[in-house]
This record gives sequence, C-alpha cells and structure tokens, in this order.
Amino acid sequence: MPGWGQLLCRAGGRLLAGVPGGPVQGAGAGAAAAATGNRGPWCSIVRHINSTTWWDEHLSEENTQFLKQVTAEEYRAQTASKLCPLKDEPWPLHSWEPGSRRVGLVAIKLGMIPLWTKNGERHAVTLLQVKDCHVLKYTPKEEYNGKTATLIVGGKHSSPFYKPESALEVFREAGVPPKQKTTIFKVSDNAIIKPGTPLYAAHFRPGQFVDVTAKTIGKGFQGVMKRWGFKGQPASHGQTKTHRRPGAISNTNAGKVFRGTKMPGKMGNVYRTAFGLKVWRINTKNNIIYVNGSVPGHKNCLVKVRDTNLPTYRDCNKNPPFPTFFADGEEELPEDLYDQEVFQFTDPSVTYV
Amino acid sequence: MAAACGRLLEQAGVRALARASAARPAARCRCFSSSGLLRVNNGEPTKFQPPPKPVVVDKHKEVAERRFLSPEFIPPRGRTNPLKFYIERTDMIQRRKVLNIPEFYVGSILSVTTADPYASDKTSRFVGICIQRGGKGLGATFVLRNIIEGQGVEFCYELYNPRIREIKVLKLEKRLDDNLMYLRDALPEYSTFDVNMKPVPHSANDEIPVNQLKVKMKPRPWTKRWERPKFNIQGIHFELPKEMMEEAQKWSMPWIQFDMLREYNTSKLEKEIWKEVNEELKK
Repeated sequence: MPGWGQLLCRAGGRLLAGVPGGPVQGAGAGAAAAATGNRGPWCSIVRHINSTTWWDEHLSEENTQFLKQVTAEEYRAQTASKLCPLKDEPWPLHSWEPGSRRVGLVAIKLGMIPLWTKNGERHAVTLLQVKDCHVLKYTPKEEYNGKTATLIVGGKHSSPFYKPESALEVFREAGVPPKQKTTIFKVSDNAIIKPGTPLYAAHFRPGQFVDVTAKTIGKGFQGVMKRWGFKGQPASHGQTKTHRRPGAISNTNAGKVFRGTKMPGKMGNVYRTAFGLKVWRINTKNNIIYVNGSVPGHKNCLVKVRDTNLPTYRDCNKNPPFPTFFADGEEELPEDLYDQEVFQFTDPSVTYV
Repeated sequence: MAAACGRLLEQAGVRALARASAARPAARCRCFSSSGLLRVNNGEPTKFQPPPKPVVVDKHKEVAERRFLSPEFIPPRGRTNPLKFYIERTDMIQRRKVLNIPEFYVGSILSVTTADPYASDKTSRFVGICIQRGGKGLGATFVLRNIIEGQGVEFCYELYNPRIREIKVLKLEKRLDDNLMYLRDALPEYSTFDVNMKPVPHSANDEIPVNQLKVKMKPRPWTKRWERPKFNIQGIHFELPKEMMEEAQKWSMPWIQFDMLREYNTSKLEKEIWKEVNEELKK
C-alpha cells in the first residue's frame, strides 16, 4: 500500500530531523522526494541546530581580522575604480523621449524635517540619502518577460560574510562590493546602463515627482482594532470580556467565512508605495533627496525611489538626466538644488506685499 | 552758550572733555569742573560735578564667556543618523545668519514681529512671556503668553519660520521652572505684560537673573494637578492644606533619579556642537 510507504518515509524524515529546533529544509525536501516515490536517498543531510556554522567559527582571530581587512580594502578599491563610468566604455547614451522609463535609486530614509515655501507655507519632507548605489545587472527583455528590459540596482554596502554565494556572484560580476538591498527596475531600451555605474541623488531633480516603495514598520501580531481600524465594543455598560474583539465575521446566509475576511494577524513589514511625492530639494554633496510628505519604513531603512507612474505628473517629469546623472560628466552642479518655490535660508525673511 | 563753552575748553586745552561735550551736542553744555576752568552758568554758583570715574579694565582677569547653546541644537536620544542632525544644523545656522535669534530662556519676556498676509501693514507684533520651549532642530518652537484686554492669549512660534521678522528680548531672566504652563491657572496679574514695555538692558557677560517669584493660583480645579511631584514645580505658592500636599506625594516616584536607562548625558555633544555652531556663525 503506497500510503503506508509514504507515511513511513515521512516519519523517518521527521525522526532524522529530531528535536524541533533548527530549520530542516534538507529533511523536508528529502522526505518529499521519497514520498513521491523517487527512491532517492531517503535520508538526506540535514542542517540541524547543532550543526549550523558561521564564517569565522573555525578561523583564528588573526585570520578573521586579516579577512576583514582584505575585504574592506578590496571593496574600497572597487568603489574607487567605479567613480568614472563615462571613461570606462559606457554603453551608448540616448536622449529622453516621452514614454521612456529610466532607472530609479535605492536610498536610506534618514528622517523628517520641516520645509518652508516662499509663501510661508510649511511642508514636512523626508530626507533620503543615496549611499553607494550601483547598477548591478542588466537583463534584456527576452530573458525577463518579453516586453521590458530590467536593471538590478543595489543599495548600501554590507559585509560579504553572511550572504549566499549566488548573491555574491552577481556583485563580483559587476565589480562592486556586496549590497544590503537589491531591487529590480523595469526600464525602456534606451535607458539601459552598464553594470557597475554609480548612481547619485542628482539623478532626480527638484520639481519632479517620485514614487517611494519600502517595507512598512513591523508591528507584529496585532488585533483587529489596530490592524483594520474596527471600532471594538464599549468599555462598560455590561460588556462581558468583549472590548476589542471583531464581533461578527460573516452572516447566516453565507454559512461560511469568506476568504479575505479581516481578522487579527501580523501587521506591517510589508512593501508599500507612496505615490506622487514631490522632490523639493537635492543636496549633491551628501547625496540627499528631500521628498514631500512621509515615506513607509522606519528610520535608516532602505527604500526604492523611482519616477512616478501617475498620469497627473507625466508633464512634470520631462527632460530628466537621461539615462542617469554622471558625476564625471561636464555638468557641474551647485551643492544644493532647490525647487522654485522653496524658501532658501540664505534669503531674507518672507514678506508679503 | 555752547560756542562760549567751546572756546573756553579750547583755551583750557582739555581734549577729552571737548570730545565728551561734542558727543552730546544736544545736551546742555555742562562744563565739568577742574581746577583751572571757570564756571559759567549765568553767574550762579554751580554744583560741584565730580569727574567721571575711570573704568578699570583688568586685563589679567579673563572674563568667562557664557557658553549658551540653544536647546534645539542638542539632538534627542534615538537611533537617527547624525548626518541628519548635521544637515539640519547647517540650515539652522544659515537662518541664524540672516535673522538674529537671541539667547532667551523660559520666563523671559520677548517681542516677536512676524509677516502676516492678512494684516493691514502686513506685520503683526506680539509681546509675551515665554512659557515653554519645545521641539528639536528646524521645528523648534516657543510659546509666548500674555493677557490682552482681559483675555489670555498664547502664541506658539517656530524659531526658524521664515515669516518671523524680528525676535527681541525685552527682559532676559529665568524662572524657577522650565515650563510655566501653570500660568494658565495662576492669577491673571502674573501673565500680564505691557505691550509697549521698554527693553531692560542686560550686559553680555552677567549671570542670568533667576526670578524667585512664587505665583499665586486661582481656586482649584486647575487644568493639571500642579501639586503632584511629576511636574516638580517650584514656582507656585501652594496655599493648599497640608493633607492635600501629602496626598499628592503619593504619586512621587523617587526611584526615577536612579534609573540608568533614562540617563542622557549631553555634555560632550553640547561642547562639540557649540564649537561647530560658533565657528560657522563667525564665518
């Protein structure tokens, strides 16, 4: 009876997995393979909590220090070598046409600041710092989905020691230190950039509009009042043990609970996008973008910034630096670029006429 | 009369006195007496005017400069990148170069003129006592309170708002507390200040006077229970019965002063920031 055989294999796999503890991906795969009747190795090597290791567990202290130093120097050299992309056989540069989509950036959310316009209105802006942003890989449209080409862009530098080898390969190919966050940007064919090109905050200009995507702050397991904004029940007047509960979840006619019913669960730590945010100011020295309003994510989290897809602002994003802003190009930008309406603190106080 | 005095002074050859009298041409020409000069005042004997006391500047004693760093420069405790505070500080310093934001404390009387698009002469001026200084960085605020025609008015101004045209300190002083919100429950005489009051002069290096005033309150209930130790108010003259004061002490939390997680020592940060801000302002 095949059923018994499957059960035994699964039980065997679970026995090997042993104490509930470490992740048992190997055991799961092995058990599944055996259960389907592959007659493969019915017990596979399992990574157990007692057998996990980290990169410097078996290295002496000297060796660890040496490795750290060597990688740091290597990555410093790599970043320095990528500073002049225009001299490094860049891919052909095209000019902007309406309908072309260009790359975005990966930035760090620093915090929020007030900003005043020349009329005296106060707006709250978020500071996004573009730090060590490089283009990592180009996937032509045939390989991606047949319609659009993509560019993978990476954010802040991070250590190579806790990354899987597959990820490190991509970084090695681009000739760039490993990054903390990598994102995919769908790009039109005239905006492709050679992998290894650094991207700067001046890629965006004041007055244009931007979409920012990031993982929202994780709130953990939350009840229905905080997660979905339910009203709950009154605090007194006879309520027995029911103050923050959902109440009814369906009706009698349905006889079942529909899929997607709002219930308690894990809240936050989900990718969300804020659309149509105006860029007020760019600081080219520290690579900081001042973006209107708030942005999902906690302070110092990595966000994905790209030109808006909203049709309302299609006219405001005309003639951007295309395909990106090159620091070693002829254009010399001042330290701060302001939108027309922004009050610059070097000006005298606002007066009304 | 002035010309006659001038000629006399030339004859006497006392240049210092001539300078003094030339500096004040509008004032009555009072000839400071010295042994050789004649007293000219319509024949009447003039009162003896002693010579002005010489100001002795002791260059050996170094005048200790008061290091005042406005509280909104000190970053709050948190996991924010110091780069964000640095950028905010550069903007704040830029604004301070254009508008002079003077040193003031909670309890000082200020006059603020702002640009107002709805006023007839496009400016509005408010005089009041600073009851609270809040916020950090560019969003720092201060609240001014005054009683105008019997109505208590409070204005919350942002220090770095570009609509502010002038901030003038009319009287620089401190009070016994950092937060004078209890003035809302105090008798109105303690919050009334003359809108046209003259600025009280204050030299740069003196210690800031601490006003030991204990304010008398309106009858209870108050907006907050100011007698409770949480507010730690020194500046109210409590006329409450002893039992009430003792009952309020039930809410005291004497262990808080030993809580190490609440410690935030800003002395080093303050010094560095003070140095940075001063250097930038001097440029």
